Amino acid sequence: MGQTQTKTAESNQPEQKKFLSGAQAIMQSLVEQGVDTIFGYPGGAIMPTYDALFDYQDRLKHILVRHEQGAGHAAQGYARMLNKAGVCLVTSGPGATNLITPIADAMLDSTPMVCIVGQVKANLLGTDAFQECDVIGMSMPVTKWNYQVVDANEIPEIIAKAFYIAETGRPGPVLIDITRTAQTDLMTIPYQYKLCKTLISYKPRVEPKAEHVEAAAKLINAAKRPYILAGHGILISGAEKELNEFVDKTGIPVATTLLGMSAMDADHPLFVGWPGMHGNYGANVLTNSCDLLIAIGMRFDDRITGDLSTYAKQAKVIHIEIDPSEVDKNVKADAPVVGDAKAALKALLPLVKKADHSEWRAEFKKYDDEEYDKITKKDLFHEGNHIKMGEAVALLSDKTKGEAVVVTDVGQHQMITNRYYRFKKQNSIVTSGGAGTMGFALPAAFGAKVAVPHREVVAVIGDGGFQMTLQELGTIAQSGLPVKIIILNNNFLGMVRQWQQLFFDNRYSFVELQNPDFITIAKGFGIDGHKVSDRSLLSESLDTLLNSDKPYLLEIVCEKEENVFPMVPAGGCVTSIRLE
Amino acid sequence: MLTNYTISVFTTNTVGLLNRITIIFTRRRINIECLTVSETERKGVSRFTIVIRSQSREFVEKLVRQIRKITDVLAVFGYLDDEIVFNEIALFKISTPLGSEPLDVKTINLDWNAKVVHWGLEYVVVEKNGTEEEIHEFYSYMKNWEILEYVKSGRVAVGKTEKGLVEFLPEEGNWEIV
Repeated sequence: MGQTQTKTAESNQPEQKKFLSGAQAIMQSLVEQGVDTIFGYPGGAIMPTYDALFDYQDRLKHILVRHEQGAGHAAQGYARMLNKAGVCLVTSGPGATNLITPIADAMLDSTPMVCIVGQVKANLLGTDAFQECDVIGMSMPVTKWNYQVVDANEIPEIIAKAFYIAETGRPGPVLIDITRTAQTDLMTIPYQYKLCKTLISYKPRVEPKAEHVEAAAKLINAAKRPYILAGHGILISGAEKELNEFVDKTGIPVATTLLGMSAMDADHPLFVGWPGMHGNYGANVLTNSCDLLIAIGMRFDDRITGDLSTYAKQAKVIHIEIDPSEVDKNVKADAPVVGDAKAALKALLPLVKKADHSEWRAEFKKYDDEEYDKITKKDLFHEGNHIKMGEAVALLSDKTKGEAVVVTDVGQHQMITNRYYRFKKQNSIVTSGGAGTMGFALPAAFGAKVAVPHREVVAVIGDGGFQMTLQELGTIAQSGLPVKIIILNNNFLGMVRQWQQLFFDNRYSFVELQNPDFITIAKGFGIDGHKVSDRSLLSESLDTLLNSDKPYLLEIVCEKEENVFPMVPAGGCVTSIRLE
Repeated sequence: MLTNYTISVFTTNTVGLLNRITIIFTRRRINIECLTVSETERKGVSRFTIVIRSQSREFVEKLVRQIRKITDVLAVFGYLDDEIVFNEIALFKISTPLGSEPLDVKTINLDWNAKVVHWGLEYVVVEKNGTEEEIHEFYSYMKNWEILEYVKSGRVAVGKTEKGLVEFLPEEGNWEIV
């Protein structure tokens, strides 16, 4: 930052009034960057900035959350819907540490975020001052970039840089730690905001190299049993249309990862479900039968691959990925294509031949039928009295015509929702994948609703995760936005219980919950809701939820000890998948 | 078998970058054998020379890609020992009280290619440049005297190629020579 020169003699004291304070510069920079929404929580070290915000209320909508973690997840939900950085504003010390979980979550799930964090005065740095903590040191492993500002003059440039880094390449969270001094000091140079368009030390490749695309096309044209794994990269780059065109031309079956869900219409004839620990039978098993695996915008997470030494060893691998460090990290690529998923698919399309892989596609069908008989049918059309999670989600899917934005927390309900919600509309899933952060869904659903108020946003949450961030009901109530909340309540930390049952000899170690009355809690926050445990009332209960023009909470009391299948045991081979 | 790998990292001169780089190693439980940070011949470009031991070239390649990913890193190279010219520097503070065995300065100079760089009242400081092995051998020799202090730097290294650093830096930079 070379422009921190002192002012010239002409522009001395009396002129200084023209210069913005650091705090004003933050606000002005956010406006010029195109930010319209901030999720935040005030406190000592960020108060000068909140004071500046007071004058910017007409241009910047600030949403007061109930806990900084809520601000972070809400910003994530917002960012995932709009593919632009969600902005958080919090204070130093505990304000900043409370933000660490969402930042780590955003890092793993490639979510753009700009977190502006207050810091103690510059002269107090390193003195263990009140609410001081080394947030730069703490956030370093979980941010794409972070920076501490001690000079007000740096603010416009740093904010522009932060957004550029957060939103380009593989998106991720960025943190700016701004000392109180830098907020209160007047700038000594005229304020000027220039959007950051390039950085010398950060050059993500968008357009893939032609020779890499050609090599990939060659493999695709020669393949007899090709199989596509489409990931979050499709949603991030907005490549849904390109993916569909590519698939329609090549006839290649497609599975989408947990975060890649909704990249394809669930009813597309070539859509075969999702791979991974609780993914579909065929989508997993046939990974080890294909002759070409085409991974697009995904990173071969261990929950997808299971045992790497037995994963897709027979297949050639094309890996289309914007982050070069992901290539060959877990699975060796025969044809790596580094670049943006959309750009890569566009480049590939004219090079691939029209093909029909219906015989190969039919193999998935065989597995689908078996899975349907052994699992789906029992989940959806059972004779029992208790509501099963699957039937609740399937009914939700029907009633929303697969067009809602579905936000899930982490655990059994998350896997079930992915299984039974039939996504018909693109960019419709928001979930915590890589980090698996319980408590994610409620604030993230709120953030998503703020981003796309015209869409139906439904949060599906377990009774455990709901209690981790339920205070955000207050934020939702205050906003009045009609976020629809479903608690699938089985009175257990269900996924842990399932593992204890299957792999720890039924030793249920601290997984049963004595739950509060969720409806009373919702009503205490001013949110209407009701509880349903009778199967015959499930349908009308969902209607009540969906027809509400205000936020609404529906508690669905589910079968207590239901297990999620299929399941690939952790670290197992994808073909060792269990159906029961 | 464990092999030495020298990783040269070129970065913009940014506060905290050392931490960001070392996190990549600590997170994967890799011990850094030695680390040297210095300026380069280009203004605003810093150079990290990191030596690690690893059994797998592939593992080091992955590591290099992770380091390359850091914003503010301009270029990264991983080298085997035969691909670089490298050296370290060591200082020995030797006790030389009156009446003790005199230091054999001629042998130190001619046979060991080391030199006395400071004469104190009752001690001398000897400087030795060389590879880790050469310094290690010299250390054994110097044990004939009382070693008050011994310190050795990390490795510095340049690649055995005709290319200069600037050819690896992003083209649009104004890489002014210092």
